[in-house]
Amino acid sequence: MNRNVYWKIALILAVLVVFTVAIIPTKNNPEPIKRGLDLKGGIQLVMQVNVHEAARVEVDQAMNAIRSQAAAQNLPAPVTRRVTDTSFIVTPPAGSGTAEYERIAADFLPAFAVTRIPEGLRLTMKPASLKELQRDTVEQAVQAIDRRVNALGVVEPVIVPQGEDRISIQLPGVDDPARVKDIIKTTAQLQFRLVEGGQADTAQGVFASLPANLQNEVDILPGTKEDELGRATGVEYYAVRKNVPVSGRDLKNARVQKGQVGEPVIGFSLTAEGTPKFADLTGNNVNRRLAIVLDNKVVSAPNIESRIEGDGVIQGSFTQQQASDLALVLRSGSLPASLTTLEERTVGPSLGRDSIRQGFTASAIGFALLVIAIIAYYCGAGVNAVLALLLNLIILLGMMAFFGASLTLPGIAGIILTLGMAVDSNVLVFERIREELREGKTVRASIDQGFARAFVTIIDTHLTTIISALFLFQFGTGPIKGFAVTLLIGLGASVFTAFFVSRMIFDIVYKPTERPKELSI
Amino acid sequence: MRFFDNPNYDFIKGRIPAVIVSTIIILAGLGIYLTRGINLGVDFAGGANIVLKFRDAVPMDALRAAEKDAAIQQYGPADERQVLLRLPKAKGERDYAGEVVEKLHKQMNPEAAAKHDLNYLGSERLAAVLMQADPDNRGTNPAAVQYYNDLAKRVIAKRSELGIFTSMQQAAEGTSTGVARVLNEKAFLGRFNVLNQETVGPQVGRELQAKAFWAIVASSLAMGLYIWLRFDFVFGLSAMICIVHDVLIAMAFLLFLNLEFTLNVVAAILTIVGYSINDTVVTYDRVRENRRKIKTPMNLAEHLNLAMNQTLSRTILTSGTVFLVLLAMLAFGGPVIRGFSWILTIGVISGTYSTLFILPAVAVAWDRWTSKRRPTAATARVETPAIPANAARNRRVG
Repeated sequence: MNRNVYWKIALILAVLVVFTVAIIPTKNNPEPIKRGLDLKGGIQLVMQVNVHEAARVEVDQAMNAIRSQAAAQNLPAPVTRRVTDTSFIVTPPAGSGTAEYERIAADFLPAFAVTRIPEGLRLTMKPASLKELQRDTVEQAVQAIDRRVNALGVVEPVIVPQGEDRISIQLPGVDDPARVKDIIKTTAQLQFRLVEGGQADTAQGVFASLPANLQNEVDILPGTKEDELGRATGVEYYAVRKNVPVSGRDLKNARVQKGQVGEPVIGFSLTAEGTPKFADLTGNNVNRRLAIVLDNKVVSAPNIESRIEGDGVIQGSFTQQQASDLALVLRSGSLPASLTTLEERTVGPSLGRDSIRQGFTASAIGFALLVIAIIAYYCGAGVNAVLALLLNLIILLGMMAFFGASLTLPGIAGIILTLGMAVDSNVLVFERIREELREGKTVRASIDQGFARAFVTIIDTHLTTIISALFLFQFGTGPIKGFAVTLLIGLGASVFTAFFVSRMIFDIVYKPTERPKELSI
Repeated sequence: MRFFDNPNYDFIKGRIPAVIVSTIIILAGLGIYLTRGINLGVDFAGGANIVLKFRDAVPMDALRAAEKDAAIQQYGPADERQVLLRLPKAKGERDYAGEVVEKLHKQMNPEAAAKHDLNYLGSERLAAVLMQADPDNRGTNPAAVQYYNDLAKRVIAKRSELGIFTSMQQAAEGTSTGVARVLNEKAFLGRFNVLNQETVGPQVGRELQAKAFWAIVASSLAMGLYIWLRFDFVFGLSAMICIVHDVLIAMAFLLFLNLEFTLNVVAAILTIVGYSINDTVVTYDRVRENRRKIKTPMNLAEHLNLAMNQTLSRTILTSGTVFLVLLAMLAFGGPVIRGFSWILTIGVISGTYSTLFILPAVAVAWDRWTSKRRPTAATARVETPAIPANAARNRRVG
């Protein structure tokens, strides 16, 4: 054998060793090829971030800014009114012009475009600013979800923005989907706001009990009604001030504690900026009631006994589980806007287990049938083809381990299908060799001609399948992407094994120098 | 072993019956589509799929009464006691499957008001229950949290393995008597475990429909374009006709078998687009090679017939092996990939068939059209297109 063949053998052995090592489970890496969600069990969610809510907050803040700047510059207070999620109208009091307010808008609200209308000024969020706000909102939501999911101890979550306002979430191995979804979706916007008046069983009741001058200053929010023992008995309504002096952003930490009668409560501590704000709020309002508002519901409305610095406690009728979940979402920060579920796929671990078993049974039987058929049809050359196929399989699995591609159920089907197609390369070559032999050529010449003539055809068939696999990848989500990836890797490997490995086996068995007379094909 | 030694079939002759058969199949499919419509899966129609495994016999009547709009069917073999609930599209975007599961759970498990359901709850909630009762006297330190978390994980993992607990002994096996007592006191075995739940909102469903349609159209066009660039226009065109044929035949069988049109089915169709073209490419490659070698003038149909005979054993063998693999997938692959396997199987058969019989039909039509435009001596031969392949072989040069 010439030196060239030794080099080829060395290369093939090296490939074999490298890829085999990649797929052998070790202690540090017990699962070298990751299982996809459909095999492992877990949740896949597509959530829409309701970014218009964030825009609305932005507009509210802009309206406040115009009014407070007008006050600061001794201008008469204008009337502001929101018209859409992204625009509002400023109406100056009768007799004063719009010029001054236009100047304020230009100076302090660069994100808004100003147009003059008969009523006064219309301020609309600029498209670029809106885009930026959307991006920021989605990004913040991704981070908050990421912190929450990590706090839950989910291993290898994937949380990524998708399109303009969506988030794709993949959580492998979760066994309690309902709870995880609740935790992800809780907006967790915590606010401390002062209560005006008492509470009542209806929203109108509370509103009517307020003096007229306060009616524009408050929001009517629902809360849980409790009996003396702290058990929930119904809904009641509170009037709380619109102004939010302290919010969830001022929290440093939150944890579950035991209350006076052993009930679960949430203890919190405040950040350096939050501490003086909370101290002022409580110090200036001793003997008034402070509403603790979570996602626009009053959790509790305790009386302020004294000035509070640094730490506090949220009481409410929580179960242990609710309290610990609430502490978790408060720690990980609020979502900038609420989420809507667009798509959910939850696979229980039992179904994943069944799928793996069935997938492997089908693959093993399919592969066995393949091997029997090839060896029966091509005898010696069939063994050659099977060796090439085995190497193809090892390369395919090894590549998946290297790239961290997940094995999905369609992916398993893809592997076995790829092997079926990889056989095609061998068949093309072998049929060509048979033809050449029929025409009376020598064994060596037939082998050479067979490989040479089949080459172009094989490249063409592979390229067409690769084109369709690329479309498949582009189209697919999760499991189907897995299928496309295995198809792509398998096709690449099959060119290598058909031309390099099969060729070399022929070269070793039917040595060019020995003028072989018979070919087992 | 050898199946086809020196085959000499006249594939051209079969073209007219083949076109008729294919047209009938496709029209029948169209007929079903127009009358009964296509069975869109949850991916495209929107709605929800829920798979439940029951502890005892499946209470079909109770399920039907609880979810009147749902299509309910057995999932897998009967002794697995599994059902698939298919809920139609709901208004608005919401957690549809989750809501239905919760409702069914409440309805079918009145005990759930007072006790925890071991067939429903996750490991963390179970850990919290155990933590609170603390039957093994571990206290409340972090080590105790870890201890009960691990314990709960083991119990739930066993449930995953079994599919569902049918007796408390199964759940409490391998735990201390204290834990078993707590489980008996605080927990019960609910009537079902949720194996799978999927919700696709109306918006995503609509988007996926459009995406699937364009993926299939674009990949067929790309394939035709590739063949055109690589060979010539008529090959590109006829390759595309074959692809469209195979996709339509696969869709027709999907309708005959009343299979659900799902994401996996689209994946199978896209795979067919890439696979069925292979036979065509192999045939064209041979035609190109023969055109260089054979100096005698032959028209396209004759060339195709010769090339098809020369590559016949490869075509049958390759399709045969892929077919074997697909049979294994159909028989043993389980319900999740059944639709996928069916479509691939149909596609592989149809791909081979369209190369052998539909391709010549296109070639003959092309020959006729071109000869009408440039009348030459070849016109006469079009009427009796099949020169025996062996005759052509004998004329081969080189």
